[in-house]
Amino acid sequence: MAEEIIQFTRRSFLKGTAAALGTLGLASIGVGTAAAAPAEVGQLTYDKIVPTLCEMCVWRCGVWAKVRDGKVVKLEGNPYHPHSNGRLCARGQSGIMTAYDPDRIRFPLIRVGARGEGKFRRASWDEALDLVAKKMLAIKEQYGPEAMIFSATHNLSQPLFENLLYGFGSPNYGTQRSLCFNAMVVANLMTYGIEEPGRDYRTAKYIIYTGRNMLEAISTSETGDLVEAMAVGAHVVVLDPRFTKTASKAEWLPIKPGADLAFHLALINVIVGERLYNREFVELNTTGLEELAQEVAQYTPEWAAPICGVDVETIRRIAHDFAAAGPDAMAHPGWRTSNFVNSFQTERAIAILNALAGNWERTLINSGGEEGGVELGKPPQPPYPRITAQRLDGVPWKYPLVPLKLGVFQEIRDAILSGKPYQAHGWFIARQNPALSLPDRAKTLEAFGKLDFIVTVSVLPNDTEWYADVILPEASYLERYDPVYVLDNRIFLRRPVVEPIGESKSALWIYKQLGQRLGLGDYFQYKDEVDYINQQLAPLGIDIRAFAERGCWSPTLEAKYAAERSACFVPQSITFDGEEPPFELKAFKFNTPSGKIEIASETLRGANQPAVPTWIEPPEPEAGKFYLLTGKVGQHTQFATQNNLWLNQVYSENELWIHPKPAAERGIANGEMVKVTSDVGTVTIKAKVTEGIRQDCVWMTQGFGHRSMGLRTAFNKGASDSDLHVTYTDPVSGGQALSETFVRVEKA
Amino acid sequence: MTNDRGSSFVFRPLGEADMANSVKKYGFVIDPKRCIDCRACLVACRAENNVPLGSTRIWVYDQGVQGTFPDLSQQFVPYNCMHCDEPPCVEVCPSQATYKRPEDGVVVIDQQACIGCGLCLPACPYHARFLNPDTGKADKCNACLQRVEQGEAPACVATCVGGARLFGDLNDPNSDVSIALRSAQSAQRLPAVGIDTGPNIIYINDDVDEKKLAVTAPQIPAADAFYKWIVIPGVLAAAGAAFLGQAAAFARQLRKGESEFDE
Repeated sequence: MAEEIIQFTRRSFLKGTAAALGTLGLASIGVGTAAAAPAEVGQLTYDKIVPTLCEMCVWRCGVWAKVRDGKVVKLEGNPYHPHSNGRLCARGQSGIMTAYDPDRIRFPLIRVGARGEGKFRRASWDEALDLVAKKMLAIKEQYGPEAMIFSATHNLSQPLFENLLYGFGSPNYGTQRSLCFNAMVVANLMTYGIEEPGRDYRTAKYIIYTGRNMLEAISTSETGDLVEAMAVGAHVVVLDPRFTKTASKAEWLPIKPGADLAFHLALINVIVGERLYNREFVELNTTGLEELAQEVAQYTPEWAAPICGVDVETIRRIAHDFAAAGPDAMAHPGWRTSNFVNSFQTERAIAILNALAGNWERTLINSGGEEGGVELGKPPQPPYPRITAQRLDGVPWKYPLVPLKLGVFQEIRDAILSGKPYQAHGWFIARQNPALSLPDRAKTLEAFGKLDFIVTVSVLPNDTEWYADVILPEASYLERYDPVYVLDNRIFLRRPVVEPIGESKSALWIYKQLGQRLGLGDYFQYKDEVDYINQQLAPLGIDIRAFAERGCWSPTLEAKYAAERSACFVPQSITFDGEEPPFELKAFKFNTPSGKIEIASETLRGANQPAVPTWIEPPEPEAGKFYLLTGKVGQHTQFATQNNLWLNQVYSENELWIHPKPAAERGIANGEMVKVTSDVGTVTIKAKVTEGIRQDCVWMTQGFGHRSMGLRTAFNKGASDSDLHVTYTDPVSGGQALSETFVRVEKA
Repeated sequence: MTNDRGSSFVFRPLGEADMANSVKKYGFVIDPKRCIDCRACLVACRAENNVPLGSTRIWVYDQGVQGTFPDLSQQFVPYNCMHCDEPPCVEVCPSQATYKRPEDGVVVIDQQACIGCGLCLPACPYHARFLNPDTGKADKCNACLQRVEQGEAPACVATCVGGARLFGDLNDPNSDVSIALRSAQSAQRLPAVGIDTGPNIIYINDDVDEKKLAVTAPQIPAADAFYKWIVIPGVLAAAGAAFLGQAAAFARQLRKGESEFDE
């Protein structure tokens, strides 16, 4: 791999920071200080800066990595990247300890003990890859290619992963998405024809979050935008049964779980009933208002209040204030909202609330996202073989509305265990931890036990690796190239900052090597990582060197910004210079069957689903049981970061939040161990007795309770919600209903 | 930790004496309303300054959930060394390893001169110091001078997701810290009545509600905080136009000098 990384000279870095520091609030000690007194300044703490992309979560902030003596010593947010704006969260700052985690997998490993015993031996890449290919080809030969399941959490190397999967000929594609945001994505597809509307906080005056904990489930730019919006006086309403850090800075409504749908239906009832919606916008850009009006007539605030636990006056006030904010109101679409099987209806109601406010291209935007803007090239490849086998996750034969690329991951285990519609025999798992991410861990482990062969690609020996037959070590994000990242009309590059630890390799390398051994070499026509990236860039008339200085490139902004700061620097200021632009009424074209925002969806009607949002009664725990709620903390990402020594310093173990009253009834004091039992499992965890949660709920963050003894820091710390969650799937969106698990809590 | 914390507080507007004792006066301005307790600053500081596991130079005080469901509140307050005008740590240091830099007011520790006696640890009323287990020397926030001298913000400030931490020259009326101070109510957090070491972290939009004073004490790295907790609010605007004019003239001079280097 020969890429010449143009190193930052100290001078060019300072120029960069001087430009950037304006947004960081440090203009006053900017370039002048250092330049004015060169004789007095101390030694630089780094030799060079390498721009790359973060991978501590899925948000992919831009990073400037400082390197000294071949080691990465400090990470800074790339000020030219719109996701980081020069900042990194605690996880982003901790990336160094993911690369230097003492528990990293350094070499390919082949299991020698029993599955789950954790005994492996070191193997060469050739031996490990030959073995994986031999096993996969044997399964294909004997049972057909569909007997291999492939799953990976979405990543920049996904196109090559898909080549492996579809080139091999299997339809069985598992992603993380049904555990995450299926309800939100499918609802927005049905309403707006896009997966997820973007948010623009610059004019936002009134924001409603439904279970979205924006200050703890951090996306650095959007979290920062919210703080800015609050600082200039935006009113923020947070619906959450728990007093989150977001709730602590907002109007908090401790809503009853699953009843946020009733709350939103009542908002619509008031806004439609009192004709407070943006009439011109609704007439011009939506279909189906009359049908909605008929349906929601019954959902009065008086009806909703006893169901959701928010009083009538508050519901009415919020409806009035939301409507009064008009296009500057925002009902946030949320993220991991598939908490009840009625969450799809909730998401539809949220999408429609936004349409009623007429906030399109104002606070709610079509961000273009990862598909937008830049046409990349790719190596030539043959078409995929025809795949006729059904998918094991029931898409589309059981879940007709779920897009293939989303899937219904949690359903795959039942297919493995029942052998229906056919028996799976192998599972290829890349950078994913189903042993902890899927509900009902016992079921997942049972399904593992029924398979002939499990191979994983991973940076760390996580829980799923513990049960694998072969582990292929991936280089951490600070040590490898990935395919380029398109964000709107900008492209960014992840590239090695330091040499990989041990013999770990990039996914681009691993997939190609394995592909060749599987007879799929035609799907991997690149010499190495740099060659792949250069083939992507060829149609743009640039090569990999375009990223050298800032880590990003843009075809449209290059000329505009070349003269001033940076090719890619678009200030993400929360305030406009001067006056706020006035709202303009416009007719938009949406990618829906009608070309409009579909308040009533013919697609849903055609699938025998309600065409407009409708009330679905969520299940409730019986007396003595609690809703088990889960969610994120700002210091960890899902199931992957608990072993990070620096993050361990700022959040080391999860706790079970419980209200003082039910705690006292059970004789539970703060900090004591409690036993939590659901229909599928039991865990022991430390209690956090707090006023900050409803009496009928308990809460814990996910990602703890690791069982892999390879994770020496995270092993056995806290407990995993996957031991407790019962598998419930929303029949429309395929999302796992994470909050329909009810538990008993007692003193341990 | 005892609950012997004061509930009386004294108003003292920041005056000329606070501002004019050095050419440059580096300080922090912190807005707790913007702090989301994400702890990015703690990790950034650890990385930047090689802070050993188990120790920290900076911290975020979490007062915990206050009130009764559903009427609750919670505040997060970032802290680090206050780089005091009259630092008690300097006075007690037997080897003069700890000193206040005359050119910018940053309190630093000369690692060569420090003998690791630990006298400065209890001397600091903010408990901002610890004995570094790797070096055996006293350790604390040095305002990331290694970065500041290269034109970068301190690591905690640069990465602060909510923009709660600002750093700059309090003597420069055009610095972001000065601008922030002019636009909001400001307060210093003093360790006890009569103990005013001239702290140079100034809090804006701080919660000075008397009812909550008892709970806004910092969670200090060292155990057994026994001191009282007082808030002295002061609005910098009260510092007076005369001083600001003087400082502005001086800053213009400085900038003029700088621009020659910058071309």
